[in-house]
Amino acid sequence: MSGEILSEKNKLALEDICERCGLPETTVMAYVEEGVIEVDGDDVARWRFSELSMVRIQKACRLERDLGLNPAGAALALDLMAQINELKTEIKRLQQDEL
Amino acid sequence: MEYKDYYEILGVEKTATQDEIKRAYRKLARKYHPDLNKEEGAEDKFKEGGEANEVLSDPEKRAAYDQLGTSYRPGQDFQPPPDWDAGYEFSGRDGDGAHEFSDFFESLFGREFQQQRGGSSRTQFHAKGQDHHAKVLIDLEDALHGAKRTIGLKLPELTEGGHLAIRERNLEVTIPKGVREGQHIRLKGQGAPGMGSGGAGDLFLEIAIRPHPVYSVQGSDLYLDLPVTPWEAARGAKVKAPTPGGVVDLNIPNGSQQGRKLRLKGRGLPGKTPGDLYVTLKIALPPADSAVAKKLYEQMAKDLDFNPREKLMRAAGQGEKARAK
Repeated sequence: MSGEILSEKNKLALEDICERCGLPETTVMAYVEEGVIEVDGDDVARWRFSELSMVRIQKACRLERDLGLNPAGAALALDLMAQINELKTEIKRLQQDEL
Repeated sequence: MEYKDYYEILGVEKTATQDEIKRAYRKLARKYHPDLNKEEGAEDKFKEGGEANEVLSDPEKRAAYDQLGTSYRPGQDFQPPPDWDAGYEFSGRDGDGAHEFSDFFESLFGREFQQQRGGSSRTQFHAKGQDHHAKVLIDLEDALHGAKRTIGLKLPELTEGGHLAIRERNLEVTIPKGVREGQHIRLKGQGAPGMGSGGAGDLFLEIAIRPHPVYSVQGSDLYLDLPVTPWEAARGAKVKAPTPGGVVDLNIPNGSQQGRKLRLKGRGLPGKTPGDLYVTLKIALPPADSAVAKKLYEQMAKDLDFNPREKLMRAAGQGEKARAK
């Protein structure tokens, strides 16, 4: 069985992302509002999401459910996690240079 | 089946208030949540904490659990006493159900407590099945060449009686050539089954690459430390170097210093834009453990006018005084 690799380049409209994540539009719009996900396009009808948004949305859902966060808190947690990952990669690279 | 001490798992006293239990659970969940903590074992701790919370946060279940008594030790073999739960009515509340519970839990409270995953607002609006998420640890070789991997999944399923059962199934998944660490593979329709006319959810596989003894991976690039001799680095040389595609003859430019990086274009992970292989030179000093080696070092010390600390001492304002002899 083969799947597809999610890519930044593949774009989805609001209704696609709601269908794929099984979420109502209001929830996805709240995620946009709080910065959990970013969106291209000025008007809701023209909003385009990257496929990777799905991963962030799912993580945000899990964090909200398991940790009692609200969307703003989940957005903060996701941003901090991304920063930590970047720093870890950087540390790994620096340690390698030192050896 | 092993007895579990839910109080010990959450790190609270048997007399803890409901508020204390909630705080302890939140703290544990923040620490071990698999989205936040990628370390091995974190997910198990998180699940264990979720199970402890499921029991201790519910006054009915907690009371029933408490009356099992204090004579059990964690890990001890356990069988529930007959009629142990007589007089307790579990409300079967819609738990958040994100956890797979242990046999110990199921022997006490049954599986009907594990309601449909996700819960809350998700399923009310759409009948599409829940998406599932799993991590797959692959070898670098799998990313280089592509591979087929069998992935074992535990899926909750509704039985005819309306109870939830855990079904295990194996999926053979193609790992595409050139996949990068942290990428997600979506397997359409391989998540939880939908309700009514709704389609099944999707399965998302997050790729992690196991550390490799020779190469380290960053995105699509590979890194390799290559030992060279001082004379190869100083005079330049052609040396053999390993690459994922096979041994290559690598030109070491003359005058190379420790840590110099050489790029082998396109020799990283394959893809539309293949990654590169970076070779970092590590100068290895021959030990002065033989008469010949000692003599050569002595000769160098005598004949070479080389002071590696010159610049450093000048920068420290102590240039002339500390000149090496």
